[in-house]
Amino acid sequence: MARSRHLTGHVGHLTRSKTKAKRGLHKGVKKSEPVSKPAPAEHTEKQIGGANNGGTRLVPVSKAARFYPAEDAHKPKVSRKRTGKTVLKKGLAPGSVLILLAGRYSGKRVVFLKQLDSGLLLVTGPFKLNGVPLRRVNQAYTIATSTKVDLGDFKVDEKINDAYFAKTKATGKQSNEEEFFEEGKPKAKEALPEHKSTDQRSVDSAVLAAVKKTENLAKYLKASFGLSKGQFPHQLAF
Amino acid sequence: MGLKEYQVVGRHLPTTTDTNPKLYRMRIFAPNEVVAKSRFWYFLGKLKKVKKATGEVVGINVIQEGKPLKVKNFGIWIRYDSRSGTHNMYKEFRELSRTDAVKSLYQDMAARHRARFRSIHILRVVEIEKTEDIRRPYIRQLLQPKLRFPLPHRVAKPSKKTLFAAHRPTTF
Amino acid sequence: MPAPSQFDRFVEVGRVVLLKAGPSAGKIAVIVEIIDQNRAMIDGPTTAVPRQPYPYRHLVLTPLRVSSLPRAARTGVVRKHVTKAGVVEKWEASSWAKKLAARERRSKLNDFERFGVMLAKKQRRDTVRKTIAKERKASA
Repeated sequence: MARSRHLTGHVGHLTRSKTKAKRGLHKGVKKSEPVSKPAPAEHTEKQIGGANNGGTRLVPVSKAARFYPAEDAHKPKVSRKRTGKTVLKKGLAPGSVLILLAGRYSGKRVVFLKQLDSGLLLVTGPFKLNGVPLRRVNQAYTIATSTKVDLGDFKVDEKINDAYFAKTKATGKQSNEEEFFEEGKPKAKEALPEHKSTDQRSVDSAVLAAVKKTENLAKYLKASFGLSKGQFPHQLAF
Repeated sequence: MGLKEYQVVGRHLPTTTDTNPKLYRMRIFAPNEVVAKSRFWYFLGKLKKVKKATGEVVGINVIQEGKPLKVKNFGIWIRYDSRSGTHNMYKEFRELSRTDAVKSLYQDMAARHRARFRSIHILRVVEIEKTEDIRRPYIRQLLQPKLRFPLPHRVAKPSKKTLFAAHRPTTF
Repeated sequence: MPAPSQFDRFVEVGRVVLLKAGPSAGKIAVIVEIIDQNRAMIDGPTTAVPRQPYPYRHLVLTPLRVSSLPRAARTGVVRKHVTKAGVVEKWEASSWAKKLAARERRSKLNDFERFGVMLAKKQRRDTVRKTIAKERKASA
């Protein structure tokens, strides 16, 4: 908060968002571990002259303040709010068909598998039908339809969680040249790890079997959603 | 303006000479109790030597319509102050309740004579039970047996979807 | 004797009307009594329409009529006459009512059902196109 000069008490001259902007928090909080140093000594031992002075004395490194503020400084109130688990959209249950509204796969109809701990929804195309892989989506950017794929007692493997989708961090610094080119040519694309494609196949096989039980459902998932003339989403039933 | 029919009962305050003053009851059409009481004192002051300062309202309640789903014919006598003088009038209305009839009366007077609420005194509202007693032809025409009429020139609401049409609409 | 009217639907006691506005919009009812040139008393005991005054601009006259209905009949009597005349069945059999019902059904379809309609329409188009092409070839 050093950038925010205090006007009075704990009221800074910059707003909360301004201090955040100054601190550059939009670039992300620094996560590097601080280098652990041995704690600096609080006292130094000093030699004292004079026979009756005991020889040595412990002197504090930083002197205690000689003055104390006459008024008590206000302590900011600690917020006791806790974010609870994201509430699923109405009518959403494993097997529901969703329409994606944003991102690379917008317009695709996908099958909802489960809610992850982060509140994001785990969905699959299935990949074979419409090219949508196992993927996390924010439920705000979806339309929940009343159509359901009967998944029975199929459960998604516990290992497919938020960590499963985490990106692997690039190690060390790389120049842009190194990142994208190799011997003067664009780098070959990295192949999908084998275990991810097997996971995809194992989940999709169960979903596909369920999809096949309903007529036209496979065709439906294959087709993407769109509005035609005179159709307005708020007037439609999904 | 939603009107209600109020029964207001009031009297002069008891005095040493008259310990039990006479009660006066009025049926008043007003939008709310406040206006009803005000009109009560306005009319009572014209009729008797009682005013709000020397009187009291004993009770006020709303009179509900007995059969609000029966179509009835009402005759209304009014006194109306025009810009040039005072007139008595009699009008007939075909409505479902006394209050509806009075409401239409105020609308009708406003439309035909630019009359305000304050310049109309309602003297009497009576339900006319016999067809022979209907005086006004505009109500009498609605009472003939086997009455029927078409609805000509029905203009459909313009569609919001298209601005242009290939055919002119049929309006009959 | 005036010339017979050019019109065939009248505001009259017993006329079946389709309601166009209000909470009962889309239902049918019957005119029980004419109030004036702007409104009539309607009642629909068999179609869950409460007895109420209704302006003509919010209703449409249908060709149906309960001719036996007396003027200002109460709800019980209306129910008897309306059931006896079979108004609801006649209305539901009419192409007008069917069209309204179909429109209602279409507007309530969910996304998957709409997709099914699209497929069915596609198939119909295909069949028609093929048959016409075949006929044309045969006649040429």
